[in-house]
Amino acid sequence: MFNLTVNGKPLGVDVDADTPLLWVLRDEAGLTGTKFGCGIGLCGACTVLIDRKPTRSCTLPLSGAAGKSIVTIEGLSSDRSHPVQQAWIAESVPQCGYCQSGMILAAVALLERTPAPTDTEIDNAMSNICRCGTYGQVRKAIHRVAKLATKS
Amino acid sequence: MVALSVEPTRIMQLASRDRLAIISRREFLHATVTIGGGLALAVRLPAQETAALATATPSSPRTPAAFVQIANDDTITIITPAVEMGQGGHTSMPMMIMEELGGDWQRLQVTDAAAAAIYNNPMFGQQSTVGSFSVRGWFMDLRRIGAAAREMLVQAAAGEWRVPATECTVAQSRIVHARSGRTRTFGSVAAIAAQLPVPQQPVLKNVADFKLIGSSPPRVDVPIKVDGSARYGIDMVLPGMLYAAVKTCPTFGGTLKSHDDSAARRLSGYHSTVILPDGVIAVARSYWRAKKALDQITVDYDLGPLATLDSARVSQLLHEGFSEPGTVARNDGDVPAAMGHAAKVLEAEYEVPYLAHACMEPMNCTARIDDSGCEVWCGTQTPQAAQAAAAAVLGIPPQQVKVNTMLLGGGFGRRGEADFVTQAVSAAKATGHPVKLIWSREEDIQHDFYRPAAAIRFRAGLDSAGNPTALDCNVVTSSMPEFHLPGPVFYTGGVVDTNYSIPNLRVTGVNKDIGIRFGFWRSVNDSHNPFMLESFIDELAHQSGKDPYRFRRALLQHAAAARQLAVLDLLAEKAGWDRPQPGHYLGISAFQAFGSYIGTVVDISAKGNAVTLHRVVTAIDCGVAIHPDNIRAQLEGGMVFGLAAVLRGEITIDKGAVKQSNFHDYPMLSMTEMPRVDCFVLASDAAPGGVGEPGTAPIAPALANAIFAATGTRLRSLPLSRQNFTFSTARS
Repeated sequence: MFNLTVNGKPLGVDVDADTPLLWVLRDEAGLTGTKFGCGIGLCGACTVLIDRKPTRSCTLPLSGAAGKSIVTIEGLSSDRSHPVQQAWIAESVPQCGYCQSGMILAAVALLERTPAPTDTEIDNAMSNICRCGTYGQVRKAIHRVAKLATKS
Repeated sequence: MVALSVEPTRIMQLASRDRLAIISRREFLHATVTIGGGLALAVRLPAQETAALATATPSSPRTPAAFVQIANDDTITIITPAVEMGQGGHTSMPMMIMEELGGDWQRLQVTDAAAAAIYNNPMFGQQSTVGSFSVRGWFMDLRRIGAAAREMLVQAAAGEWRVPATECTVAQSRIVHARSGRTRTFGSVAAIAAQLPVPQQPVLKNVADFKLIGSSPPRVDVPIKVDGSARYGIDMVLPGMLYAAVKTCPTFGGTLKSHDDSAARRLSGYHSTVILPDGVIAVARSYWRAKKALDQITVDYDLGPLATLDSARVSQLLHEGFSEPGTVARNDGDVPAAMGHAAKVLEAEYEVPYLAHACMEPMNCTARIDDSGCEVWCGTQTPQAAQAAAAAVLGIPPQQVKVNTMLLGGGFGRRGEADFVTQAVSAAKATGHPVKLIWSREEDIQHDFYRPAAAIRFRAGLDSAGNPTALDCNVVTSSMPEFHLPGPVFYTGGVVDTNYSIPNLRVTGVNKDIGIRFGFWRSVNDSHNPFMLESFIDELAHQSGKDPYRFRRALLQHAAAARQLAVLDLLAEKAGWDRPQPGHYLGISAFQAFGSYIGTVVDISAKGNAVTLHRVVTAIDCGVAIHPDNIRAQLEGGMVFGLAAVLRGEITIDKGAVKQSNFHDYPMLSMTEMPRVDCFVLASDAAPGGVGEPGTAPIAPALANAIFAATGTRLRSLPLSRQNFTFSTARS
């Protein structure tokens, strides 16, 4: 039995210790917003925040996530009100949308560390793959969040 | 009534006369009262015509045959015949109905159509979201449906008020009688409207009167894609569901000889092993346990007849095609004679490799079998193919299979296939339980239906002034035999339909059955043929000592090329063709694709073989622009898809199998490499052209032409990474 905190709530799961966090979230917790893309930690579709750091959940065994606080796309807000979600809607970022949960969480982590990132800082932080080619809109949305944050 | 002439496209030219006639007669509007008492409206195909469509399967009896339903609570439900895979189908299809209907965009709900012949695209008679056909095919019919519904709703309200319908107007789901100041909502008269006769010739708006079309309303699928609630095939969960992981023989045409699952059987959560002709499926109580069990199953394959095939042999087979007779797709003038008179003859051979689709969502399907038939859930571009695949496994009629189309985590042509449905249904059948089957990324990369490798040999004759007088093109690739219909040879598309005015022009196609699975890959033939032709045209321009843009201009001075010329000119203007920044070099390409006219200019600098990309400018004339923001998004996204292929996209074959397996050796474009992109959509009132695919095609020739301008090296094969070039993107 492993205990974690997912989106602020305790989660106890009784599965093999080597089960990647991705499949615990999807198949045990029913949080299917976190996506399977490559299984080797490259594409970033499975990105979640673990203790506020963007982490590839497809290669992280459950045993390594035990006791940690995990935020998935479902936990960002209850009503799409998180500034990054709002910016994503305003810039109409998603196309197929499959990579976007991971993109959004990577952007949340970036903006927390670097509230007004440069293009190069965005390049370096956003290692997620988008096959639809939404990179330009992702960049715009991140700048939009930064701009709104400075205004307020 | 707007008179829009639909220009002939490649596929339409390929279709037989009979088939076009059948499609053009399909205009029977049909209304029903919905269970909730609202109005439902559909286009109905007469039964005999349904049967005459070769590819159509009968509609499922479980399917409500409707495109729009207006409920008493004013909700407008649109059943979209185009699936949503990122291209915007769930937004563009409703826009065409809502424009004529006058519905309130905020009250819109969108659902995917079931597998049914009624949803066959009017342009080619299949229920497939492929070929950038959705808007093109449905532009008239969906508007007619919206207009008919509007006329019925107005008639219903006018009848209640006892006023002439002509005195009523419609906006935002309300019927207004201004003179008396009365209004009714759609929902409040929907039940009355449903009893009225359906107008068979509803009056459509003029293009100039469009309000919704040409604006960019919020995409309906965006909100659910920022909070994790969007439901893709992989997200399906059923009570009592088992999970499945699959591996199949790495060589094409290989089969399973034997397997040993004794180690897997000892794992907790293991359920069973399902045998396929070419591999095994491990079924377990969770996906992770299924995957672990699969890894424990040892397999022995008969590697089949292609076990020694490699990429060098593929290349050799393509080049052998150059000297085979082939099929003549176009033959203007007298090419041999013109070559004989030419002042100069140029020859060049071009080649591109296989490519994988690599949709972000790996292939998957969930299947459940019960006494009444079978139900499947998956992202599919072709619901009737999924239906047929399931029916074939079970030996039941297709009508007994219900296909639930989910959102697609990328399609790009890959999800037009149904191999993953066959596997999932096989597992559900063998286990007697509902099963969700998910491919690994490795299975996805190694068992794709690849963009076929292709090659062209060009010969051109130039006169003493450097004008091309003759062009001979031998296109060699792998293509589907069923496309060998009257008209141009399908896979020569992108060459055979060139608008360049060259008096003696011959295009010959050789279809090579190499044995590697191939299929449609975003932009299809235009992913390779325009790269080769537009590069060769560039070679001719440089050989003639002419500017590549003006050389193209001179070949487009005829009426049929007017739209292509306008795109070319706009590109040159927006990219600053005549005033590149110091040390920068530009490359250009423009052609017609999917009923649209498209082109790109690439702005680069180079130090030796280190290329820096500064900017990409793309322009399109796609006729009536339905959703301009999404058109720009598709052009930009299409460019990214194409650029990844140009830079390092390559599926190589070794010992009959694909060498690449995941994103480490089949890498995608990254954020770091994303260039500045400026997209321009030309204003047009011509019939809509395709949008989802054209944007993928022009980046390859434009970049190759820019690299030639900068370095003097002509890229006659792709990808760039093979040619000792390195690549980076400039940040301003």
